[in-house]
Amino acid sequence: MTSTHVPDQRTRHEHLIEIYRKVVTVRFAELRIRGHVEAEGFGGFWHPGIGQEGLQVGAIAAMQPADYLYYAHRGLGYAYAKGMDLTALFGDLLGRAVGSTGGKGGGTVHFASAEHGVLGQGGTLGSNFVLGAGTALASQLLGDGRVTVVFFGDGAAARGTWHEAAIQASVWKLPVVWVCENNGWALSARFEDQSPTPNVADRAPAYGMPGVIVDGQDAMAVMDVTAQAIDRARRGEGPTLIEAKTLRIRGHYEGDRQPYRQDQVQGDEIPNDPVHRLGEHIAVEERRAIDAEARRTVEEAFDAALAAPRPDRSVIFEDVWA
Amino acid sequence: MTTTQAPPATDRVTSYSRAINEALAEEMRRDERVFMMGQDIGTLGGVFGLTRGLQEEFGPVRVRDTAINETFIVGGAAGAALGGTIPVVELQFADFLFTAADEVFHKLAKWRYMHGGQFTMPVVVRLPSGVVGGAGAEHSQSLETIAMHVPGLKVAVPATPADAKGLLKSAIRDPNPVLFFEHKGLYRIKGPVPESSDVLVPFGSARVARSGTNLTVVATGLMLGRALEAAEQLAPRGIDMEVIDPRTLVPLDIDTIVASVEKTHRLMVVHEASRTAGFGAEIATQVQERAFFSLDAPVWRVCGTDTPLPQDPDLEQACIPSTDDIVTAALALAAV
Repeated sequence: MTSTHVPDQRTRHEHLIEIYRKVVTVRFAELRIRGHVEAEGFGGFWHPGIGQEGLQVGAIAAMQPADYLYYAHRGLGYAYAKGMDLTALFGDLLGRAVGSTGGKGGGTVHFASAEHGVLGQGGTLGSNFVLGAGTALASQLLGDGRVTVVFFGDGAAARGTWHEAAIQASVWKLPVVWVCENNGWALSARFEDQSPTPNVADRAPAYGMPGVIVDGQDAMAVMDVTAQAIDRARRGEGPTLIEAKTLRIRGHYEGDRQPYRQDQVQGDEIPNDPVHRLGEHIAVEERRAIDAEARRTVEEAFDAALAAPRPDRSVIFEDVWA
Repeated sequence: MTTTQAPPATDRVTSYSRAINEALAEEMRRDERVFMMGQDIGTLGGVFGLTRGLQEEFGPVRVRDTAINETFIVGGAAGAALGGTIPVVELQFADFLFTAADEVFHKLAKWRYMHGGQFTMPVVVRLPSGVVGGAGAEHSQSLETIAMHVPGLKVAVPATPADAKGLLKSAIRDPNPVLFFEHKGLYRIKGPVPESSDVLVPFGSARVARSGTNLTVVATGLMLGRALEAAEQLAPRGIDMEVIDPRTLVPLDIDTIVASVEKTHRLMVVHEASRTAGFGAEIATQVQERAFFSLDAPVWRVCGTDTPLPQDPDLEQACIPSTDDIVTAALALAAV
């Protein structure tokens, strides 16, 4: 794999530094949120993405700013990587007026930023398949050159919406890239117990599209395969299914004790940690500086969100109609 | 508040289905962002012929045949709207709302709300609706009340060619999602339709289809014609019925209905959909909340049976209100 598909002139190392900065920022955000949930309790459900940040940031590093993103429910790495402001993301999580949804959030699910092409997420898993194909159709119709990237989990891959979207997207050669985060678990269901194929990507040939498997802990590798898939989509050659192999470090939601699971990750050690994988390539002092900056950024943004007011109840009646 | 149509001098007579076809063509000519997709709408021109000729004029890119994939047709429309286009999609039968329920009731209805108002969802879903003669329990339903119950969806139920055209044009220009219930049993009826491509029928504006003094009847879709026939039969018998067509259920022009009840003091709601928890129940409730002391009698409903629709055309007709049923009920209600 080379970096020739990445859409700008930065060197590979510069990309790595930027990806590391984002991954480590998301990691601190994950830890800050976990701390908050454990200390304060929490009214919503936080679905941690810790350990999966590398693939999220890596894939999105291959996108252009104008490209469209439908993210999945594991954390906020996607939205942050696409350029959204951390305070707004924490604000959504904490149900604050500074959230991107103006206080309608609370939990992880519904960040959005029209400005950054972050189009949101459906609360019913797998609903993003058909929306993503539709947005890609709009790009094809308008000739705007944008590509839509849709994230989903191995569990959502079983939805019928995948079948309907994948067939239509492939037949029409829509500019969409599907990124499956296979962390092995759909809440309490093991992937291997619920999949007829060893890999999600094995299903791609039936839809007439390439299926690519990549090590999801290797952010640079994910960036490379995503860049190729995005190039292909932008050339009008249709969708690609990428399966990033990863691992669910925590429960389905923060607080899930996972009684169904025998392979629980203990302590803070993350196997094949994407932070370390990237960090190995950065000089120690530079890395420390990035870490310190990331930690400070997260703390400031979280404090700002915590200090922000709750929304007025009048928001209940806003935005039902345009 | 009632709107008046364009002056009759500029009208010509055309069919309900032709009126819909014209609305689609005019809006696609007016705005290049408008496109259509659905099953068999392109090459075939739709199983009911509604989109005939449109692929010839606008090409297969803007008039797209899909696979059998209702979740994509509606969910894809939602996504395409977020991407800056104006999708007008067809579900081959309104009943397929259930096949695409997550996309209709969650994505179209709630996406803007859930995401803090950052997006608009200008999608029209065309829904061939109602009893048409032997189509069976899964191809004949009137589901407009279900659409009405979920906040975030506008609901149109045109009963005449002019309203079909004018409401569809308004729907396509509306930044909100619209479920557009076309009655299959009305596709062939003819009526005056304004010649001009600029005549729109606004949402939330009921039409007084017949003025009367004794009894108000609210009816939509296929039932409007039957109510008007019943009114003509009742006139010589001393009952002067006022017939109101709400035309849209969301928003609902309750003011026009209440004003009529304050004049006639009696109200009957006629709908083809099953009786229980139909829109008749909602209208009855709103009227008694607002005009209880104007009523001389209970509000009655004449509705479809609380059964699935049988496939047999005769049995099927027995499940929905006939003109005779409306006449009989009106005579009884007038005597209360």
